[in-house]
Amino acid sequence: MGKEGFTPMCPRCAHESISKLAGSPVAGAWEVLQCQRCLYTWRTTEPDRRTKRDSYPEAFKMTQADIDNAPEVPAIPALRGRG
Amino acid sequence: MAYDDLRSYLEELGEQQQLLHVDEQVDPEPDLAAAANAAARLGENAPALYFDNVTGFTNARIALNAHGSWANHAVAMGLPTATSTKEQVEEFIRRWENFPVTPERRQDPPWSENVLEGEDVNLFDVLPLFRLNDGDGGFYLDKAAVVSRDPDEPDNFDKQNVGTYRLEVKGTDKLGMQPVPMHDIALHLGKAEQSDEDLPVAIALGNDPMISIVAGTPLGYDQSEYEMAGALRGTPAPIATAPLTGFDVPWGSEVVLEGVIEGRKREIEGPFGEFTGHYSGGRNMTVVRIDRISHRTDPIFESLYLGMPWTEIDYLIGPATCVPLHQQLRAEFPEVQAVNAMYTHGLLAIVSTKKRYGGFARAVGLRTMTTPHGLGYCKMVIVVDEDVDPFNLPQVMWALSSKVNAANDLVNLPNMSVLELDPGSQPPGISNKLVIDATTPVSPDNRGHYSQPVTDLPETGAWVEKLQNLMHGRS
Repeated sequence: MGKEGFTPMCPRCAHESISKLAGSPVAGAWEVLQCQRCLYTWRTTEPDRRTKRDSYPEAFKMTQADIDNAPEVPAIPALRGRG
Repeated sequence: MAYDDLRSYLEELGEQQQLLHVDEQVDPEPDLAAAANAAARLGENAPALYFDNVTGFTNARIALNAHGSWANHAVAMGLPTATSTKEQVEEFIRRWENFPVTPERRQDPPWSENVLEGEDVNLFDVLPLFRLNDGDGGFYLDKAAVVSRDPDEPDNFDKQNVGTYRLEVKGTDKLGMQPVPMHDIALHLGKAEQSDEDLPVAIALGNDPMISIVAGTPLGYDQSEYEMAGALRGTPAPIATAPLTGFDVPWGSEVVLEGVIEGRKREIEGPFGEFTGHYSGGRNMTVVRIDRISHRTDPIFESLYLGMPWTEIDYLIGPATCVPLHQQLRAEFPEVQAVNAMYTHGLLAIVSTKKRYGGFARAVGLRTMTTPHGLGYCKMVIVVDEDVDPFNLPQVMWALSSKVNAANDLVNLPNMSVLELDPGSQPPGISNKLVIDATTPVSPDNRGHYSQPVTDLPETGAWVEKLQNLMHGRS
């Protein structure tokens, strides 16, 4: 199982580029981390079902293909023609 | 009673025994969301929640479930906590008639005390952010009032929009935003993006309770939410000028964020557990860059838990959905008596109406679907007789069970518009819609055997009073 604190893998998409977004005002209590591919964001003190790849629910896992094929909301409109 | 800010509303909730201060230490996850989820399961008189001892934070102040019961909604309206749902909707309608009420512009808003700009902008330094549901992609701002203007008419006050749209915190100065195509901000954004421009926005967090209500009310495109807030409060809404955008924002907010929706840009966002009781799925959505944060000292962070209905959002937007539909229908069909569109933001609505002639009731049902709100919601409309109270669900069930013959009383319309979040839509945003005519057929629609209804006896009213008096005297 993952060690306490920093998890070097995104629980959601298994990407390994993770950034720290924030640290706790009380030093050492927690960090907020973010996956640099799927942008999943989590606090290190959250339950395993949100922070550990092995425990993350299958229904919410995401792949590069999911990101590439995600619908655009709202659709980007055509530029106004110059006339 | 009108509240000028969130703090005075929370104080009044406390006075009315409708605010629970949890002073024991709790974890940001899963405690905060689980507590708000639990409050929604306490029933129609559930309290608001206030936390100020959260692990890892030094001065977090978090309010949840502020509108999350009929008792709280009554306090927001300045009514006694025991006011019934139907009476609250009727009072809402009465106050709506006073629209528009010009807002009052004030100086020195309390949120101007502290400013972060440029490199110093960091949402995590100001807001004690936390996750709501397990599958959410991140931490959300889901009760903010987002202010934008029509890029073609930037000085038109009435077309300035104030709306609540979900915002995912995706960086220290970056948000993802969901502008549903049927909502006014999507029109503003569309115009900006057609011109290859960004759309400036001001985002007000922690507002007086009426701002939260009007920001979730489907008004007409050129109807001002501030002028409606004044009508519903009974006194002009206090507003102030946001320093970077020049937009009008609530005077009493806790925090004001200013920046732009970056034009023609989309990025992965979500999923988010939505008001439909289902997750939205991940979509590529708009990106907001925050350039300036103004905030009170020690701001209160207000958030809203939503999940399987009912939760706070259903109380917050229930009456606010019924009343515009009622007003818009009555403008053309004064026979309409009442509208209950409180189910999943009006995906299902119940309308009671008198009938002019056979076929009239289903026309009222169809009109409900073509109101501005109906275009994106109102997937099912149940039309009942004028003597059936749409807020009395046993009566509605009686109408459905006794007045409907599926052979002729269902109007099934293919490929109609609905918001993409509707989990049943296929493809997303497209759904059949259904009118169920549960009214008594009238001439020339002479179907069924409805000529001998059983009505209450003429003496029943007097006996109700007599029995009540006897019961009262007995106790």
